[in-house]
Amino acid sequence: MTMNSPATESTSSEVLPLEVRNITKSFGTNQVLKGLSLEARKGDVITLIGASGSGKSTFLRCMNLLEQPDGGDILVHGEQIGFKNTRRGREPTDWRQVERMRARLSMVFQSFNLWSHMTLLENVIEAPIHVLGKPKKEAIAHARSLLDRVGLLERADYYPAQMSGGQQQRGAIARALAMEPEVMLFDEPTSALDPELVGDVLKVMRDLAEEGRTMVVVTHEMSFARDVSSQVIYLHQGLVEESGKPADVLENPQSERLKQFLAPKY
Amino acid sequence: MIDLQGYGPSLLAGAWVTVQLAVLAQLLAIMLGLLTATAKMSRSTPLRWIATLYTTVIRGVPDIVLMMLLFFGGQIGINMVTDWLYESYGFDVFVNVDEFTAGVITIGFIFGAYMGETFRGAFMAVDAGQVEAGRAYGMSDWKVFKRIRFPLMMRHALPGLGNNWMVLLKTTALVSVIGLVDMVRVASEAAKATHEPFTFLLPVAAGYLLIATVSEWGLARLKVRYNTGFGEASAWNN
Repeated sequence: MTMNSPATESTSSEVLPLEVRNITKSFGTNQVLKGLSLEARKGDVITLIGASGSGKSTFLRCMNLLEQPDGGDILVHGEQIGFKNTRRGREPTDWRQVERMRARLSMVFQSFNLWSHMTLLENVIEAPIHVLGKPKKEAIAHARSLLDRVGLLERADYYPAQMSGGQQQRGAIARALAMEPEVMLFDEPTSALDPELVGDVLKVMRDLAEEGRTMVVVTHEMSFARDVSSQVIYLHQGLVEESGKPADVLENPQSERLKQFLAPKY
Repeated sequence: MIDLQGYGPSLLAGAWVTVQLAVLAQLLAIMLGLLTATAKMSRSTPLRWIATLYTTVIRGVPDIVLMMLLFFGGQIGINMVTDWLYESYGFDVFVNVDEFTAGVITIGFIFGAYMGETFRGAFMAVDAGQVEAGRAYGMSDWKVFKRIRFPLMMRHALPGLGNNWMVLLKTTALVSVIGLVDMVRVASEAAKATHEPFTFLLPVAAGYLLIATVSEWGLARLKVRYNTGFGEASAWNN
């Protein structure tokens, strides 16, 4: 071990749950991410905002390798994901490392993506049992307490198709929590919901932020970004245009583009 | 009551051969179909090419021609290999593929091509978001397949699989041309011997109908199973 290794520089409590450096990504000749970095400390709520096409969802999906970044580093709790160059491009060296890493970063999707052939309870216990190897009894007890928490305990035996979008998304958040994740990734969690259902989901997310969960949230909900986040990152065409405390970025934007983006639309 | 003139037990034995043949051939067809569908959706060009060749050839040539080609050609091929082993290495092996095994392999091989197309379409109908959710929660490719893609795919594959099974069941009648003593073979021999074709062909027709009816019931059960979470199976069926 060298004197400069991170472990000797900082105490273990300061190991970052998630760090991504200089992520680049192209689709064909179109470069959508031009070198994006992010550091999530424990308890941080980082919101990514920007117009559609700014690369915010792609950036989030690169963090758990649902998209393969062309370049850059990803570290989960200090462990760096290994990459190698192949004929098909840059790929992870060890997919099992990726699977382990993904299990520590739960994702909540825009379209919920609950497994439609399983009941809500089965959805919540699926990965804890089959990925983490938790005993079934324990997983069920934990799942029930999480469903209670998001107000869906009485829906435990319903199938996703029998629930409203807002209920499905709260169920998906319970599924994410059941992994006891290091970091939760939210990909526009309220964008597919009817306006009257958005509030319940945001309420659950605010509670999570308050109890100190580390979250990275792609969202269009400016009030959530303003009230809850510790950091707001405004992306434009695959680059960070502005970043900082919500009070600075949202109340006092510097760039013309961000001013326009935040201006009332009607 | 029809007088089967002592052929009753033989007919029953033939019916049992038909059922065993159909079930085993269907299982083989399902396995080949899953492999073919996976190959057709794979990133590897040679695999896609092989799978396309397989389905194109099988679907373009009559079953009875394929059956004779595979059965007689297969035996000739095996003989060539064993002869070569004997001449080159002194191994004296004798492999004789019996009619039943040949029937299972041939019919399974033919229907594997059809199942491949059924499964490929069904896999493509699976919601990509749910597959992605499996990967995002740390599942390996195999776990995603077993826990998510396969059960979701089956919902879309069952109507096609049911059709395939019915056609396969009736195709087993063709194995009498390679000498397997199934229900049809027994009946045609009895008919020739007694000059009473209807006495034997009507029970055979009824036998197929019975197997088909039982299958319909089984398929309906499967539909209920793979439609959990999608509303009532009957509503989706009609």
